[in-house]
Amino acid sequence: MLEKTKVLVLIGVIAILGNWVGYGVSPVQALPGMLLIVLFTVIGLGLNKLIPKMPAVVWISLIALIATTPIFPGNEWIVAKTAEINFMALATPILAYAGLSLGKDLESFKKLGWRIVVISLVVYTGTFLFATLFAEIVFKLQGRF
Amino acid sequence: MLKDWKLHIIVLFFVLIGEAIGVKQFNLGVGTIALFPMLYVLLMGGVVSFPKLKLMNEVQMKRAAGILGISFLLFVAKLGSMLGPSLPKIFDAGVSLAVQEVGHVLGTIIIGLPIALLIGMKREAIGATFSIDREPNLAIISEKYGADSPEGRGALGVYICGTVFGAIYLAILAGFLGSLGIFHPISLAMGAGVGSGSMMAAASGALAVTFPNDAEDIALFAAAANLISTILGTYLCVFFSLPVTARLYEWLEPKIGRTRKEGAK
Repeated sequence: MLEKTKVLVLIGVIAILGNWVGYGVSPVQALPGMLLIVLFTVIGLGLNKLIPKMPAVVWISLIALIATTPIFPGNEWIVAKTAEINFMALATPILAYAGLSLGKDLESFKKLGWRIVVISLVVYTGTFLFATLFAEIVFKLQGRF
Repeated sequence: MLKDWKLHIIVLFFVLIGEAIGVKQFNLGVGTIALFPMLYVLLMGGVVSFPKLKLMNEVQMKRAAGILGISFLLFVAKLGSMLGPSLPKIFDAGVSLAVQEVGHVLGTIIIGLPIALLIGMKREAIGATFSIDREPNLAIISEKYGADSPEGRGALGVYICGTVFGAIYLAILAGFLGSLGIFHPISLAMGAGVGSGSMMAAASGALAVTFPNDAEDIALFAAAANLISTILGTYLCVFFSLPVTARLYEWLEPKIGRTRKEGAK
């Protein structure tokens, strides 16, 4: 847990610097928001340890969600501070780690036949396209747009 | 994990370069391709971890994959903090959010299974098309059929493809579909919540680049859809997707399945 917290803080620092270069938010301005985001994550991880039936991702979303709803004391400050962190800036380090782990699957990838590669593309396209289509149909039926 | 300081330094370096390059869009005439920092750092990482270059060993790559899981949690917390103030908006789109999840679940099977059979796949097709085959889905299929069964191999194959090019492919697909102007950005954002961390981040990023004015809403609805996929995904997979795919296979295979030269296996 302590180890995970340290890694979270470190990734937070990387994201703050990325947020500075990419979106012009100074590290001083971004620091409180990032601390809050790390705090939500740590609390969520702790709750996941207590009640593992609910995935960590769900716990963390729930904590962050509650802390930013109008019923939570100080929510306006929390929303304002976390808004300083651009969501894209937080996603960039994820993809960097993903890239660095890519090599481990390259050997097994080379051994795959062409059929499975084609089908994987079809599967990803299918799930994205059908969810989009179904959402769009409902919105249209409701006359939203 | 903090010991992997080399990894973190490389990531910091990549992130700074990637963010400095920023967003680039290429017009292909019919639509645009969106390139943005997430994709640059993914490619840079792919080059550094390329086995032939021997810059990284297997253990370091496995560690990077572990840290990837932890770093995604921060992203989830950030998205969660955007959900709180927008709950009325989310509830307002409740019906769409519920129905789009059906699309996520059916979408892999509806076109995946028939095409798999038409190109001559056998029982691998069940594992390959019953879901997007991320870690929880692999666990489900190996429990039912065994990891080394044809079904298990099909699932593992799509899993490997997903790791190697899933995020890039979904980013390009999302950006391109978005630029065509057929679908509303919010519908596309829901589509982006496929239930896999890096794919969802890359796809919603591409949409945010394509529709800069709707960036906040895109993150919001992608997050909500992804959360639904995460919560319901496993149950739907065990009780619906897998049995239905297996049944459909038995029914469709004699009709459109092809005999391969090398035999049934």
